[in-house]
This record gives sequence, C-alpha cells and structure tokens, in this order.
Amino acid sequence: MDIKTLSRLQKLNQLNLTETEENELMAFFEKAEKDAEILASVDTENVERMVYVMPMTNIIREDIAKKVFTRDQLQEQAPEAMDGYWQVPRLVE
Amino acid sequence: MKYETVIGLEVHVELATKSKIFCSCSAEFGAEQNDHVCPACSGMPGMLPIVNKRVVDLGMTAGMMLNCDINRVTTFDKKSYYYPDLPNAYQTTQWFSPICVNGRVDIETSKGPKSIRIKQIHMEEDAGKLVHDDWSDTTLVDFNRTSVPLIEIVSQPDISSAEEAIAYLERLRDLLRFAKVSDCRWEQGSMRCDVNLSIRPEGSDVLGVRTEMKNMNSLSAITRAIKYEVARHTRALEKGTEELVQETRRWDDNEGKSYAMRTKETAGDYRYFPDPNIMPVVIDDEWFSRIEKTLPELPEVKREKYTGEMGLSEYDADQLVSSRALCDVFEDAVSVCGSAKEAANWIITDCMQVLNKKKMTADMLDINGTSLGQLIKLVSEDKVSRGNAKRILAAMFEGEIADVEAYAKEYGFIVSNDTSAIENIVKEAIAADPKSVADFKAGKEKALMALFGKCMKQLKGNANPQVLREILIAEINKI
Amino acid sequence: MKVYITKSEATGKNIVVDDMILTTDMPTTAGSKMLDGYMSLFEAQAVTALKENGYTICGKANTGEFNLDLLGETSHFGPCEENGVLKGAAAQTVKMGDAMAAVTLEVNGSSARAAALAGLVMMKPTYGTVSRFGTIPAACSGETVCVTAADVDTVKEVLTALKGHDDKDGTSLPQEKCVLGQAMPAKKVAVAKSLLTADADTLAKVEAVKAKLIANGVEVVEIEAEQLLLAKSAWNILMSAELCNNVSKYDGVKYGYRTPNYTNIDELYTNSRTEAFGYLTKSTVLFGSETLSEANYFKVYDKAQRIRRVISEYLTAVFAEYDAILAPVCSKTEYTVEETAANKYMAYEESTYTAPSMITGIPVVVTGGVQLMGAPLSDAALLAMAETL
Repeated sequence: MDIKTLSRLQKLNQLNLTETEENELMAFFEKAEKDAEILASVDTENVERMVYVMPMTNIIREDIAKKVFTRDQLQEQAPEAMDGYWQVPRLVE
Repeated sequence: MKYETVIGLEVHVELATKSKIFCSCSAEFGAEQNDHVCPACSGMPGMLPIVNKRVVDLGMTAGMMLNCDINRVTTFDKKSYYYPDLPNAYQTTQWFSPICVNGRVDIETSKGPKSIRIKQIHMEEDAGKLVHDDWSDTTLVDFNRTSVPLIEIVSQPDISSAEEAIAYLERLRDLLRFAKVSDCRWEQGSMRCDVNLSIRPEGSDVLGVRTEMKNMNSLSAITRAIKYEVARHTRALEKGTEELVQETRRWDDNEGKSYAMRTKETAGDYRYFPDPNIMPVVIDDEWFSRIEKTLPELPEVKREKYTGEMGLSEYDADQLVSSRALCDVFEDAVSVCGSAKEAANWIITDCMQVLNKKKMTADMLDINGTSLGQLIKLVSEDKVSRGNAKRILAAMFEGEIADVEAYAKEYGFIVSNDTSAIENIVKEAIAADPKSVADFKAGKEKALMALFGKCMKQLKGNANPQVLREILIAEINKI
Repeated sequence: MKVYITKSEATGKNIVVDDMILTTDMPTTAGSKMLDGYMSLFEAQAVTALKENGYTICGKANTGEFNLDLLGETSHFGPCEENGVLKGAAAQTVKMGDAMAAVTLEVNGSSARAAALAGLVMMKPTYGTVSRFGTIPAACSGETVCVTAADVDTVKEVLTALKGHDDKDGTSLPQEKCVLGQAMPAKKVAVAKSLLTADADTLAKVEAVKAKLIANGVEVVEIEAEQLLLAKSAWNILMSAELCNNVSKYDGVKYGYRTPNYTNIDELYTNSRTEAFGYLTKSTVLFGSETLSEANYFKVYDKAQRIRRVISEYLTAVFAEYDAILAPVCSKTEYTVEETAANKYMAYEESTYTAPSMITGIPVVVTGGVQLMGAPLSDAALLAMAETL
C-alpha cells in the first residue's frame, strides 16, 4: 500500500483520513498483507468460493405490490427535503 | 482510407412487473415523487432483498426470445459507486453469472439480412431520478424508479451503421413487447440505450478507440449521435483534428453534438462482489419449460397466418401484429365468431377508437377476446344492432362481460323481430311528421333518413335497419 | 460507565438489545455519530419475536461502531468501561441485573469476548436460524444475532423465542432447521491446539473446562487445527469488503448525519462521512474497498472466499468425529481503554479465536470464559454440553 493508492481509495470511498491515520492504516495494510501470506500458501486452485455459509436456492417471492410507509414518514429524518424530494446540492453534468 | 464502424449496444429495458425487484414497492410508472418508496429502496438500513420471481420469469422470456442460452444457476452481485440517484450506494446486478448468454437477433436492412449476436442479458435494479431545480439551485431526488427491475441486453460489437442499430433496436422492441417482457417505451425511459462506438480501417481486425454515449432515449437521437460520432472519429483519424480517447460522452440532441463528460479519476472502479443476502436462483427443467410454453409466436409468423389462411389484408395484419394485445384479443375473438375480417375490423376500428378516446395505446387493450367474439357473432346474426354493439363494447372496457347475450338481453339491446311493434312505431312517426312524409314523396331522400332516425331512436336501436327501412317505405307508400 | 444509548422502562422479563438492532420506540445508532438519534420505521424481527414471547425491551446497549471492535471502545458515545477496563455494554446490563439477557449482533467477536470476560453464558446460534431482518448490516455473510445471559437455561429460553424462519430474510433457514431440538450427550471434544495461544489465566480456564468434560465422561483430544488460523485474515477480508459496501449508504443524503461544510455533492458525501465515522470504520472501509479492487479481487477477496470453504470443510471433517471444539475466546482476561487506544487493531488480533465461527456460521457457546464450537445446527447439543459444565 502506498500513499497514492491510499489517497485514491479515500476518494473512491468518499472519506478522508488525517496524515497520522494514513500512516496507521498503511502500517495495518502491511501487517494484514503479511498475515494474508498464510492464505496464499493454501492451494485453492480446485476449491470453489463459498459465498453462503448455509446455502439454499430460490428464495424468491411472488410479484405483489404493497405500500407500507408514506413519503412523509420516509423523509421525516431527511437532512433536507423539498416538495417530497430528497434534496442535494446541484449536480453538474 | 475507408473506415468501417463498429458498434455495440447496451439496452436497458424495465420489466413489466407489478412490484420492484428486491422490495414490494409498486413498480408502476408515473406516481408522484417518492410515492413508491420504502426503507429498502431509499437506502435505510435493516431490510433484506428478496428476489421477485416474475423478474426471473421475464429475464428468461427475454433470453428465449433472443435465442440465448439460459444459465440454470444465476446469481446477484453488488456494484458500488456514489451518486444521489443510488440510495444504497450500490446497485444489485449480475456480474459473475448473468441469466442469459450467447443470443442472436436477426435484422433486415437495405443491405439484406444480418445476425447481431447478444453477449449476455443480466437482471438488475434501476436507479432513481434526479430533477435539477433552478429555483432553489439544488438537485431533487426521486426514488420511485429505484429498484424497478431491469434487464440489460448487451450486444456484441456486430453493428456497423446507424441503420443497423435502428433495425436491431426496433426488432428488439418488437420481440420484447410481443413477449410482454416490457412495454419498451422510450419516452418513459422503460427502454434506454448506451452506444459503444469505434471505427477502424476496413478489413482491420483491431478495434479502434471506443467512446460510449449513455442513456440515449430515442431512435432519432441514436441515429444522429451515431452519424455524428462516426464523422468525428473519421475526421480525427484522417485529419488529426483531435486525439481520440476512450471516454463517456453525452449526446446533446438539441445541439446535435456530443460532449466529453467530466469523469472522476475513480470512475469505473465498481468493486463487484457476490451479494451474500441473495441465494442463487436455480432454474430447473420444470421452470424452464413453463416459461418456454408462454412464448408467443413471432410477429412475422402471425402476420403470415393472418394474411394466409385467415385471409386478412396486409394492412389489417400489420395493424394487428403491431401489438401482442391486439393479436391476443383478435385470435380469441375469431375462435368464437369465426370471421377474421369482422374481428379485425372491430379491433382496428372500434376498439382503437375507444382506446384513443381513453388516451391509451394498443398494448393496453385489456378486453376479453372471447366476449368480443360473442358480440361480433350477435351482430352477424342480426341479434344486436351495430350501434348497440358499440355500446356493449364500450361497457367491456369498463369491466368484463362474461355472457354477452345475457348482458344484451338485460340491458334491452336485443334486436326486435316483432314487425308489428315496428309498424306501430313507424305509424306514430309518420303521423307526427307529415312534412317529412311529404318531402320524401316529393323526392327528398334525406327526409326518409329523418323518419328512420326517429323510429330507430324510439326502438332504442333494437331493429334490423333493413326491416325498419322496408316497413317505413311500405307505410309511407300506403298514404 | 456508558452502558445504555437509550434506556426504556423495565417491566418484568427484561431484555436489552444492542444498538445494531432496530427498534421503533428508541433510536438505533450502531454506535456511530452517523446514526446518532436515528429512528427506524420498522423493528427487527428479533425484537418482534421477543415481544411476542412476552419479553420487554428495557433498553439499547452501547456498541462499538458497527460492532467491529474489541469491546465497544469505538462507540461514538464513549466506551463502556470501569476504571479503564472495557466491559462490553450489553453484557454489563446482564451482569448488573438490569436485563435477564442481552441480544446483540455479533460481527467480529465482541459479544463473545464480553461474555467470556464477564463470566456469562453466550450463544451465537447457527447462521440463518435467527432472522437478521432489521439488524444494521455490517458483514452479512457471517454476522449473527446472539444471546448473552447469566446461565445456560436463560440463554436457551431466549434463543427459543428468537429462533425461527423469517420470509423477510433471504438467508433464513426453513423452520424445521431453526428449532432447538433435543440433543444427545457429548462423547468426544477436541481442543484446538492452534488456538491455545492465550495467557496463562485464560489457558487455565480452558483447562478447567477440559477437566469438567473429562469428569463428565467426555473424551477430550487435542487436535492441531492449524486450518483455523486461516480464519482471522480471511474473515477480516470478507468482513471489511462487506462493511465497506454496507456503510456506503450513509452519505448524508437520506437521513443521519449531514456535514454543515459543503458546497457540492462530493463535499457533502466526503465531509459527512469523514466527520461522522470513527477511525476503525474508516480504515475497515478502505481496507475492504482495496480487497475488491480489480487488481485484488481474485488474489485477495475471492481467495478469502475459497479459504472460507477450506475452513468449513476442515470443520466438517472435525465434527464428523468430535461433538465440539474447545478453544479460548480471547488471549487475556482483561482489556483496557488505554490498550485499545494504543492499538486500534486489537479486535483484528483477537479475532484469531472468533473468526473461525464467524466465517463459517457455525454455532458457538461461550461459558466459563471459553468457547465450544459445534457443527452447523448442533446448537442444542452445544447448549446441553454447556449445561453440564
């Protein structure tokens, strides 16, 4: 992990670290990468990835529409809303 | 040097479901802002996604219509990026195992027939809508479309002109509408298209620098945009007017120009990974064949049947196959009334008239074809007059009429064969209007029509016009 | 001592839930400034199930931010500590007698550690047997609603109320698998030698439990269990990637904290998130994001998913022979605020012991300061074993 990648990561995830925090995290990356070497030592060529610990299939529902909450309820805690819309600074294309 | 154009299209189609893909909010178009929204599709924590089965049905249907292989195990993945129209800051889509792969769409252009290969079709959720408000100088966010189910149909770069692109899109639209996968309305955004385009020296097998124009929403704009981009790329290669870079461009249809979009340095880093909350969807043979059975005949097959064995004119057949809904009502009606010509007339003229009045499109025709068939039969048997049949038809648009004859009886729409009743009315009419009688006798044909109209009104339309006319003339002649 | 985020009226059969579990009459904050005061429109299925069974939710316990940390030290509202010693707020309510049980969302071992340190009984049931509907998502592929109480009977009673199929959770198992059944007495228990890396006091607890098992006629065998050491790194990768994705929705637009310092959307996002997330959340997000980058996906993230299967298959083999695996829950018997301030990654270090069950979703019972891990759906057997200790 280098500072350039780390600063790109911060932009990508919309958050900033202080310089001290950056250094702390870079040290952690180093440590975690070293720890991950133990994973690399395991041959997983023929091992299928395991996304679900208790796998099932076809957990699906019927196509039925329901309305549970009103717009006002949903926007009650909006930092800013207007005319039933959530509101953000103007976006430039 | 001569150049050839290489185009691949990514078409987004909103699926015709009642509810959204992962939550139970209504997917209906046109609601008030944020009226079809719940905690899940407005990015609140704690709700878990449950896949709408109908979405899988329609995804499979689309794949079958486009000659695809259906992946029998299909899974969902998360794609992360920040934008205000994406409330969870991730879109659930299919990255690793899309529902359909390896399809084909056959098109016809002025250069003859051609096959456009489909790379894949995947299911995903739509994003919300942003409205830029000049008054407050802010952007307003509407999540009604968030999580509405979409399929994205990705073609191979097999398209080499605007004409082919349009032929492909029109064919795609016909097939998907016919299979009721989507209403495919460009103007409502239920069909949208991203155009990937590059040019290269003719015969070369190396692709040129590719530009992408996103969210194109009309065929005419797509035609103009492709022509503009081809010219721009050609100029750049021939005259060195600019250096082509791989980028996303915005097409401004008013100005007729494309512009490079400002993109973040982090753009495109979507960090896809499988969604552990959504179990794989496994399509077994039973499910597969259940969907296969629902596939409609292709429009051209129907057209041939209509003009061939059913004897319709080319015009009538074209009108009917423009919409699956018309075909369905037509075929049901014919199976009852036996007359293709009559059924076609009733649909193309009378049903369309009602739809137009209601500002509805042909696809929205939702009457029972069997009932229409019964009605046509009653008219052809002279049991209901044409005028009253139209009234009954109008009633069919308001609610189903299972037994049309019983309905006609109940509301007094059955033609009277009782000539003495008609004679009485005619006599009264003649007595009440000696002027018209005199005029008619003096040779004014129109005067007869006035009397005829009055009688028919008295009879509430329930008289055979021919019979009424004959009695009327006979009675006048008696005077 | 910051035990509660919100305290409600205590009437009768009181249960405290941690602040990762949504309630509609009290805020749910996930221990984060981002969700300070956040009121959910709906409640967790766990809360509904508790109420339906006659329990009262007597309060919301303080949690570390998104329960990623060691013992709640990263809470925006301050840690739950006594004389500088970290307590784990939910466990503390049980210890103080305010609640008969605590229901918490286990993400990275903090519930197990708190129970072990407090000498309480805790069970993390098999993944999918208690609905996660209405819990604040952090690492969905492994996080589990669990129960802490003073004794095995109470844990069992509350778990019985919580367990059950839920249509609103797509990972919820069929009802017949959710029920706590009857269990055969344990015959054979393995001690995971690879995890015996704790201090003497902790190892003494393992020895004590071992001795009791033997006294009860159970055969106790030491196994190497080196595969379990893969779990820490692998779970950290999977958990971080999922956390990154799950907390990206907190952006200052829809609800929650919005920075006053912005002129455009990027500033709104970045400043809101920078100001409202604590360091551990931020660093977990950035780490997780990197594991999913195009360059790392197969090398790091996908590798961790495959390692998950390696561990899971190893455990299947072990449980074919043994009824449970005995191991420490953490490396020490006490952790201070000072330590966690000096080493912000202590939870990561300590997850050596808890990651094997987090990454595989197997059930765990914590008792006598140690843990017994069992095969999937062996929850009843684990509880029965704990009862004999």
